[in-house]
Amino acid sequence: MFETVLELLKASGVHAWEAIDVKERGWEFYFIRHALDQNRVRDIETITLKVYQLSDDGESMGSAEAELSPTADEAEARALIESLAYRASLVKDKPYTLHAPRAAEPTAAAPSLDVAAIAGDFLKAMRALPETATEDINSYELFVSAKTRRLVTSAGIDVEESFPDSMLEVVVNARHDGHEIELYRNYKSGSCDAAALARDLAKTMRYGKDRLHTTATPNLGKTDVLFSSSAAVDIYRYFVTRLDTAMVARRLSDWALGQSVADHFDGDKLTVETLRTLPNSSHNRLYDGEGAPIRDLVLLREGVAEHYIGGRKFSAYLGLDDCFVPTNLAVSGGTHSEAELRSGAYLEAVEFSDFQVDAMTGDIFGEIRLGYWHDGETVTPVSGGSVSGSMHDFVKALYASRETVQYNNWRIPALTLLKGVTVTGG
Amino acid sequence: MKAPFSAYLRAIKPALKRLVELLGRDYDYVSVLATDSKGLAVRISQRARSVSSETMTTERGVVVRLGKDGQYREFALSDFDPDQVEETAARIRAELASQQTLLDTLGVKPYATGALPDEPLTLFVEKETETLPETADVKALVEKLTAISDRGMAADEHMLECMANAQSTHISKLFLTANRDLSQSYVYSEGVVVTVMGKDGQVQNGYAGISGLCGPELFDQLAEKLDKAIAQARELLSAGRIEPGEYEIITSPEVSGLIAHEAFGHGVEMDMFVKNRALGRDYIGKRVGSDLVTMHEGALCAEDVTSYAFDDEGTLAGDVTEIDRGILKTGICDALSALRLGTVPTGNGKRENYAHKVYTRMTNTIFDSGEDKLEDMIASVKHGYLLEGMESGMEDPKHWGIQCIIKMGREIVDGKLTGKVVAPIIMTGYVPELLGNVTMRSRDREVFGTGGCGKGYKEWVKVSDGGPYLKTKARLG
Repeated sequence: MFETVLELLKASGVHAWEAIDVKERGWEFYFIRHALDQNRVRDIETITLKVYQLSDDGESMGSAEAELSPTADEAEARALIESLAYRASLVKDKPYTLHAPRAAEPTAAAPSLDVAAIAGDFLKAMRALPETATEDINSYELFVSAKTRRLVTSAGIDVEESFPDSMLEVVVNARHDGHEIELYRNYKSGSCDAAALARDLAKTMRYGKDRLHTTATPNLGKTDVLFSSSAAVDIYRYFVTRLDTAMVARRLSDWALGQSVADHFDGDKLTVETLRTLPNSSHNRLYDGEGAPIRDLVLLREGVAEHYIGGRKFSAYLGLDDCFVPTNLAVSGGTHSEAELRSGAYLEAVEFSDFQVDAMTGDIFGEIRLGYWHDGETVTPVSGGSVSGSMHDFVKALYASRETVQYNNWRIPALTLLKGVTVTGG
Repeated sequence: MKAPFSAYLRAIKPALKRLVELLGRDYDYVSVLATDSKGLAVRISQRARSVSSETMTTERGVVVRLGKDGQYREFALSDFDPDQVEETAARIRAELASQQTLLDTLGVKPYATGALPDEPLTLFVEKETETLPETADVKALVEKLTAISDRGMAADEHMLECMANAQSTHISKLFLTANRDLSQSYVYSEGVVVTVMGKDGQVQNGYAGISGLCGPELFDQLAEKLDKAIAQARELLSAGRIEPGEYEIITSPEVSGLIAHEAFGHGVEMDMFVKNRALGRDYIGKRVGSDLVTMHEGALCAEDVTSYAFDDEGTLAGDVTEIDRGILKTGICDALSALRLGTVPTGNGKRENYAHKVYTRMTNTIFDSGEDKLEDMIASVKHGYLLEGMESGMEDPKHWGIQCIIKMGREIVDGKLTGKVVAPIIMTGYVPELLGNVTMRSRDREVFGTGGCGKGYKEWVKVSDGGPYLKTKARLG
């Protein structure tokens, strides 16, 4: 069907078009403890069409998009394209051109797409975990897919790539004297890294043990908060989102190229860069969703904005021709050792109900499910209460470790300390 | 007019019945859910405009559920060919056999589950709508939303962007087993206005939305929401920060709905009971709120975005009283979890789409209203806040914690609104305490359906929730 669609698009007379065909073969396994709840297979093809129309005077351009079922026949596909052409003509955006074809730098080796083998590795790893009578696995859900994506545009782009995409959701229990708690983990990766999985789940079980013996988080007011878990990714996503052309062009971010993102820094001046590949990332791609080659690029160098990233439309509006939507990100520039960051009084927050950072307003929020209050002498596991504040302020007062850690498609400082976070007691 | 059932599903129905028959030779239980849902989404702002046929719930595909010897498995496919039924059955058998080989190699045993009942039932439902997303006047809708966006921009010199979004979905679903033949078609719509204002380096946004079990005719009411969204953004720009602490609060219907959803919506999804992941299991028949707390859940509770006739497992829609005057009565349940718990399904088995697994999910989750007047509720507060606007929430059924991110609070001192606004607000607490402290509830109630709901951090489905104004106590930060 996809080839038919391409021919119809070429013959349609529309100003421009994009067509994406994603084929997915996925295996899923759901467990309650280690008993199989269900097993599932996904054999899915998704065809997405986007049509652009230029106004007669060339002053405006619009787009309309839709999915076309692989069960559609030629008449249905033709009718859809005609409908999209009409609908696109109703939209009056500023004109821009689609990405011109540019070849991506090839990567070293193609990853395995053997869904059965990858799923088997995960299941073996889960069944080999060192569970105890008091810390164990409540349930888990495994999703392993092999995906092939082909993108064709009227501008001459025709690229195809295949990649594995895995997700493991795990719920860990810990119990003591009839009281049971749970902790949640969601791991995304290309394939299975059994050693990393075992390491992190062992740490999670330790957290679970501590979670059973927490006291209420004290009402600390403005306090230094240390982030030592994956929640810190959301802190660093703030920087990348603020450098997205969609935010800049819509005046939702005022970060300008060549300028520092803060008027001064009491803490570390970070460097943020995009990477084509990170080991076992589920986001290793040659091209973004519009066919732009992904490359290694410094976005923020020691606190100074150097490059924007983003989709074609808003990048074109800013006059930028070589932007792309990044897939892997790396943050560096931390100048501190772990010992330095762990000195004095601070709250180490390791588990949240849902930690959120709003890149537009700068607001950060999170209810604390597990933290460690270090008062300078003793360490007390705490829970309840919340952290809040503004990233607009924390940009100036962020202290990071030199050591880094990888969470799927992000490599970030292993420890991140924000100064002056408001901590409401539990 | 009736929302017409999908011609595509009508056409493939005989072949799907044949598929059920073929697979029934190998399995104890076979069901097929086939979907064909079409949509329209128009998003207009000053710098980004788009028209799409995709919404959160548009889809076309088939999922087959197969049970044998206590084990359930599913196969989801996007390319069902009515002329290739035997080949499709063979493909399903072969792929599932490959999975079984892996499971057997690892020594995996199933969570033993009985056979799903298959009582005979035939149902054909086409719900009322005035218009359909497929045939909507897109030109008029684009103009309507553009006018809203333009008027918003002209309303305030600090306006950075004004977005008007409208989406409508025409759902068609067909559920077949050896004995069941269920078809339904309905249309739901939702619209939202978002205003983004900036001043002195600060950026804030306001929003207001509408939703309903109806077609794109709903969007005629969207322009009325603009003033609320503008006022909210303006107030947020000048809002102060709250002094963290425990306060008397009055929750607006939108915030009451968020509490209903996060506190006891997720807390009584009974697939979590099977996994021992919800405290609610141990509290059936016990007090979890004050006498003023009564809460309903079900597709029949309201006419909104998820008011279907049957769920994704072929169970008829219900109306469950979860909490009756403070006493937890029951939860909501999908069909497999009901088998495992020895209870009956409540019509809450939902999928993100045909390619996803069924979980127990909410539909309309709503607190009952009471007899109090809002002004009397405000007058009763010594020092507290009237909470308005929801951002997000997160459930914690295992520990009954609750986290709600709320747009703003209006200060109340000595029974009067002071005019001071604080924002944003994170409300945290222990659910039985929060509901146990409910001392007043207003007469009116509203239902909101513009949001989505995840199970943990995935599996997004449409839900609605709401209630009256409620007075209680909570910890705010």
